[in-house]
Amino acid sequence: MVGIGHAKFGKRTDTTIRELAHEAVRPSLEDAGITASEIDASVIGVASGVWAAQASPGALIHDYVGLGNKPMFRVEAACATGSAGIQTAWSLIKAGLAEVVMVIGAETMTHVGTSMATEWMARACDTRWEYPFGITFPGSYALMATRHMHEFGTTRMQLSMVSVKSHKYGAMNPYAHLQKEVTLEEAMKSVPICQPLNLYDCCLISDGAAAAILASEEKAKKITDTPVWITGLGSASDTMMISERPSLTGLVASRLAAEQAYKMARVTPNDIDVACTHDCFSIAEIMSYEDLGFCKKGEGGKFIDEGQSYIGGKVPTNVDGGLKSKGHPLGATGVSMTVEITKQLRGEAGKRQVNGAQIGLTHNVGETGQYCFVHIYTR
Amino acid sequence: MVKFTEALKQGKLMGAKCKKCGEKYLPPRAHCRCGSHEVEWYEAPTRGKLFSYTLVTFPPDSMTKYAPYIVAVAELEDGSRLLAHITGVSPKTLQVGLPVQVVPHQISEDRIAYKFKPEQTTV
Repeated sequence: MVGIGHAKFGKRTDTTIRELAHEAVRPSLEDAGITASEIDASVIGVASGVWAAQASPGALIHDYVGLGNKPMFRVEAACATGSAGIQTAWSLIKAGLAEVVMVIGAETMTHVGTSMATEWMARACDTRWEYPFGITFPGSYALMATRHMHEFGTTRMQLSMVSVKSHKYGAMNPYAHLQKEVTLEEAMKSVPICQPLNLYDCCLISDGAAAAILASEEKAKKITDTPVWITGLGSASDTMMISERPSLTGLVASRLAAEQAYKMARVTPNDIDVACTHDCFSIAEIMSYEDLGFCKKGEGGKFIDEGQSYIGGKVPTNVDGGLKSKGHPLGATGVSMTVEITKQLRGEAGKRQVNGAQIGLTHNVGETGQYCFVHIYTR
Repeated sequence: MVKFTEALKQGKLMGAKCKKCGEKYLPPRAHCRCGSHEVEWYEAPTRGKLFSYTLVTFPPDSMTKYAPYIVAVAELEDGSRLLAHITGVSPKTLQVGLPVQVVPHQISEDRIAYKFKPEQTTV
């Protein structure tokens, strides 16, 4: 990782997807101290052309940010699109096809409205057997929450505690969509969406973009004195229908992807100093603590209860505000996680800095685990 | 799939079973994940227990007129699971483990689905 850039997440009706991408690309090039001409290829993550009403949004962005005739790949992995981009770029470099690759994640979603956004995302559920029953993404995770509460006694209050933490750190992140703190009482009493999940258990629908420049080891050392290395990668998938899953209290894909990444990086969950995990819903963050091995199965509620995911706790998690407070512009999210971990490992996270962070982790889930990418970074 | 809907009208739930590896699929599919395309119909149980549920108060755009509604996953007597609406029960009395049965749900003249309802207790 030699360069990072982040656009302001939020309701960005002042701009368009290509301009938003540029807002992230420009600082990433400045950060790396290189020009677009030194980029060998781009990987562009946009989860769906539907949002921007633009088929082939990758081509639009690639051209606009000045990458001209360079090779371009567009990837799609639902909410994990950005991390699919990081893994694709890493693979291109490792295969020797490129030395410097720009990954751009971008999505513009807010203009369609929450009801229509929920509709488009719900169509990523099995459209023959599950979507017709009006299941949505909050609904799917609510089924998991009901089950987690039933099996492990996870409480309504513990769910809200995740949201309180996200907002505490999001308020310190100038790029976050909602930069305001919330009280536990506000979080617990908010409008029901899909019970047991309420408004504050659900991530935001946002516009945003993020960019990261990856380079080969040799090239990275020439570009910067402070490279951040990707030392472990894992990815996995799961059934399209959630009713087919043996368990609804965790994501198998998360566990498998994490196992691969830990093994490749030769680290254990105990070695992780800071993490960005996929908190599309409060229950998703609680399950991520368990699936990634930060705590034992069923003890995710206790983990937040004890403040273990706060700075100063066992594994500070989503201290950039997470999807909940920073926002979740689908394609941008995984790249944004990479940007945050890179900042943390360089010691550039300001008020949100985890002191002395050496090893970071990103965990990015698409849909309800049909895609999952876990990456481990060191400085 | 005609067989599935025809059977459903009679209150029967038909799944597909792989002739090669024996894997059962409910809802049915034409091909098995093992690679075999030789699957046969079997009649699945229609009784089971509530495995999980959610009361949807913020629906996707296309479902606005039906909200609020309850989406549930039930575990049937043979261990297979199905996702559908549940009706005839108050959200407040819902709990994991509630005995339910799968019943046909005629949505319109040419559209049929299935739903759960609490199992009738014969008194």
